[in-house]
Amino acid sequence: MYGLLWDAIVNLLQLKYLLPLVIGTVAGVVGGALPGVTITMTVIIVLPFTFGLDPLQGLAAMTGVYVGGSAGGLVTATLLGIPGTPSSVATTFDGFPMAKRGEAGRAMWLGVWSSLFGGLIGGVVLIAATGPLAEVAVAFGPWEFFSLFILALSMVAGLVGRSLLKGFLSGAIGLVVTVLGNDPVMGQPRLTLGIEFLEGGIPFLPVLIGVFAFAQIMGDVERIGRGGTLHESLDRAITLSVSHLKVIGEILSRPLLLLWTSFIGVLIGVLPAIGGSAANMMAYDQAKKLSRHPERFGTGTPEGIVASESANNANVGGSLVTIMAFGIPGDAVTAVMLGALTIHGIQSGPLFISQNTQIAYGIFAAYLLAHPIMALVIALGARLMLRVVTVPKAALFPVVLVLCVVGAYALGNNMSTVYVLLIFGLLGYAMVKVELPLAPLILGVILGDQIETNLIRAIMTDADLWLFLTRPISGGLLAASVASVAFALWQHRRQRGRELPDEEADDF
Amino acid sequence: MIGRDGVTGLVASATSLVLFWLTLGLERNPLVPIGPGFYPRLVLGVTAVLGFALFVTDLLRRRARGGGPPAAPASGANYLLVALSFAVFGVYVMLLPLLGYRLATFLFVLGLSFLLEPPRRLGLWLRGMVLALATTVATYVIFDEYLAVLLPRGSWTGF
Amino acid sequence: MKNSLAILAVALAMAPAHAAYPDRPIKLIVPWGAGGDTDVIYRTFQQDFQKRLGGTVVVANVGGASGTKGAKEAKDSPPDGYTIFAVHDSIHSTYYTGVADVNWTDFQPICLVTATPSILTAAPKTPWKDAKAMLADAKAKPGTVTVGATLGSTSHFFPAMVEKAAGVKFKYVSYEGTAARMNALLGSHIDLAESNLTQKGKADAGQMKFLAIATEKRMAEIPNVPTLKELGIDVEYAVNRGLVAPKGTPPDVMAKLGAACAGAATNPAFAEQMKKHGTIVHYLDAKGYTAFLKKNDAVNKQLAKELGLLKR
Repeated sequence: MYGLLWDAIVNLLQLKYLLPLVIGTVAGVVGGALPGVTITMTVIIVLPFTFGLDPLQGLAAMTGVYVGGSAGGLVTATLLGIPGTPSSVATTFDGFPMAKRGEAGRAMWLGVWSSLFGGLIGGVVLIAATGPLAEVAVAFGPWEFFSLFILALSMVAGLVGRSLLKGFLSGAIGLVVTVLGNDPVMGQPRLTLGIEFLEGGIPFLPVLIGVFAFAQIMGDVERIGRGGTLHESLDRAITLSVSHLKVIGEILSRPLLLLWTSFIGVLIGVLPAIGGSAANMMAYDQAKKLSRHPERFGTGTPEGIVASESANNANVGGSLVTIMAFGIPGDAVTAVMLGALTIHGIQSGPLFISQNTQIAYGIFAAYLLAHPIMALVIALGARLMLRVVTVPKAALFPVVLVLCVVGAYALGNNMSTVYVLLIFGLLGYAMVKVELPLAPLILGVILGDQIETNLIRAIMTDADLWLFLTRPISGGLLAASVASVAFALWQHRRQRGRELPDEEADDF
Repeated sequence: MIGRDGVTGLVASATSLVLFWLTLGLERNPLVPIGPGFYPRLVLGVTAVLGFALFVTDLLRRRARGGGPPAAPASGANYLLVALSFAVFGVYVMLLPLLGYRLATFLFVLGLSFLLEPPRRLGLWLRGMVLALATTVATYVIFDEYLAVLLPRGSWTGF
Repeated sequence: MKNSLAILAVALAMAPAHAAYPDRPIKLIVPWGAGGDTDVIYRTFQQDFQKRLGGTVVVANVGGASGTKGAKEAKDSPPDGYTIFAVHDSIHSTYYTGVADVNWTDFQPICLVTATPSILTAAPKTPWKDAKAMLADAKAKPGTVTVGATLGSTSHFFPAMVEKAAGVKFKYVSYEGTAARMNALLGSHIDLAESNLTQKGKADAGQMKFLAIATEKRMAEIPNVPTLKELGIDVEYAVNRGLVAPKGTPPDVMAKLGAACAGAATNPAFAEQMKKHGTIVHYLDAKGYTAFLKKNDAVNKQLAKELGLLKR
């Protein structure tokens, strides 16, 4: 098997495959880094260019986009504090504070090298463990998915902010957002509040762009008059140069963290319909819980960056194998890649690897090769990216907001997604002001429809509600979510005990 | 005397209760054993409870402390500028379908950059103009012409 | 400064030229997600179609609410030929079952492009060896055989027709879209679902079982799968995909679209590509397609009525 992989890598090093792979990776990094341009959008944009190529060339380009995009998001996440893509949300938590401290280079390269290691670990694990992992994924029925999503939400609600209650409230508000508009089962209008564009429901990407872009940008804007300077949040003189050996050492000195968060990324990638947007947050939560210094999370600790970025790139590996082995798209990006497979007349399914060995291993090889290429692209493009950060805010903000509008518009090809962007921009800023954490809201919006759909599917299949508890995997997942909440409560209490003296100061 | 958390909790709670009330009139579909209102009511109920809990915790904490601390300290944040920025963005979004992407975007970039840094010098005027023009042209060429993301055309201008 | 001059020059060059149709990209609304059957078929079709049309055609995925979100948007677009809509049979069923207010009569037919025959497919863990065993079981225990379907759409109507013709009763579970349905079949979370030849790989690998196909004769690709007619169930069913434009699109534009569609749809290369997707090219011109839609509409209305789903 590894012989086949070696042959595939050598094969892919030919210019005719290497060129699309490099171009795809560059496109991915750029698309991932631009706030408002998601990996999904980038991959959709690249898709038409691959029609004229032979299948492996096209798939190499798309794999490059996916890998590059998952890493590219970290550039904006660390340097601007806006996740370039949903899968780098958790990277902002520690990456941006670290960059603000003047360690922008360290923050960014911690992310890049973690992406590389996470991606490679994910790839190696997956090439070996495809079969058993995929069996687990298919065994998940509506009950298991429902319980899994509940677990994901309760983990994330406990993850950010000082108050567990506020975390849950934020997650619940996210779920409320998804019940507006129409029901996901029959498309029957409900709670449209008489607003026409709500009738199709609220898509999560404009919500995500709006909440994060405005929370960040307006937070900066409100400080403008005060200090009189526009560039105070990030020093213009920052440099991205950093000792790579030291950064790599920082990551590799935490082998357990790296392996565990990569594993979480892989696992979530294999499970359909969750995707990178959840992987980075769950991995971040795990890292925080396992850490001896959970209170340092959110202030610019390297563990936070390592967890988020290793998980989201490992996630790509997981999603790739699931579509190749089962034709199950893990998210919108892999759904487009699945489309690319069928456009080239390749049937995905368990026979795919045996019938299209060359292409299957070609994709593995492209995946592995895309990682060093991604690191190289970011290394060469770093100076250019630095300019993005050092551009005066008065010039940068309008441009970023225009890109957010274009991105939102392109998602639905109509104005309604732009209105959603505006409304949730306001909500996002308001939430920051009342100190409600944003991440649970986003996860709630992403998972809301799925939670409802799976709940209803379960009830339609069998009216017995006890099945949620009596089916072993489902019951186990629900037990895990209860345990996760209990653990978060305990941790909050312990932390509060320690912080009691200054609690009053920041509680108003 | 309630604090910021208390207000947040109350607002969340009240909003969910209003929405909860709105779900009561929803019609059931014969194909689906539970109606479209079942899950929303579940979620809205939970949200209302969470919001109320936040309100109560806030109240209790304040009482325990014996009268709340003074209201949020004057942070000196420039909220007027934030409000104006939101307003400019709002106007941009309203004008997009009317003036078309190119015209609206040019005006928005110009307007917001001047709002954030008033053009007191000629250099800043020039920078604003070049930025607005470059942003508009570059995004339009890349997305509409090259990447085939069809950007809105103005219903007033046809442009 | 030199740069900004160059930019200015580009900006001037971009001024709209009022040339003949099409002078700007045409938006082809696919009311389903990227990567689905409809999306794949139209992304293949679009290439030759836009070449023949002499302009750019952009496939825009506007998914959601059983395909009715995209339909609504297409209906509300200006009838200038710059928005066209990729329609399939679900437009009739979603209208009559009350999922949406958009009817086929809100559009002007351009052409019918393809037909994808439906296959009644069972999950791997079901005990049935063939359709007969399944039907016997369904008859013995009414309301226990679960069928995954996009409710009110084609994947719901097809098993419902079988249900009626065979005199059995199924239990429907909502799985919107082919991908979700196929996953549920793979994991045996449902017993039955509608699928088509694109799933042949999974059927060959024993991950799902093709019970019967809803064509008149057996298909050459799967000679062992009987037709429903052979089993005494008089059901023929296929998902028919065509192109329509909002009502009021000018005749000269319609003629151009029609001619381009005729050329692209009857291109042998397209038929060859469609074969890989288990799809037959079934071209009809605007007139033929209008008659086809009218007939199909009546059939669907009748069906909705018989199923007790008729809301209009």
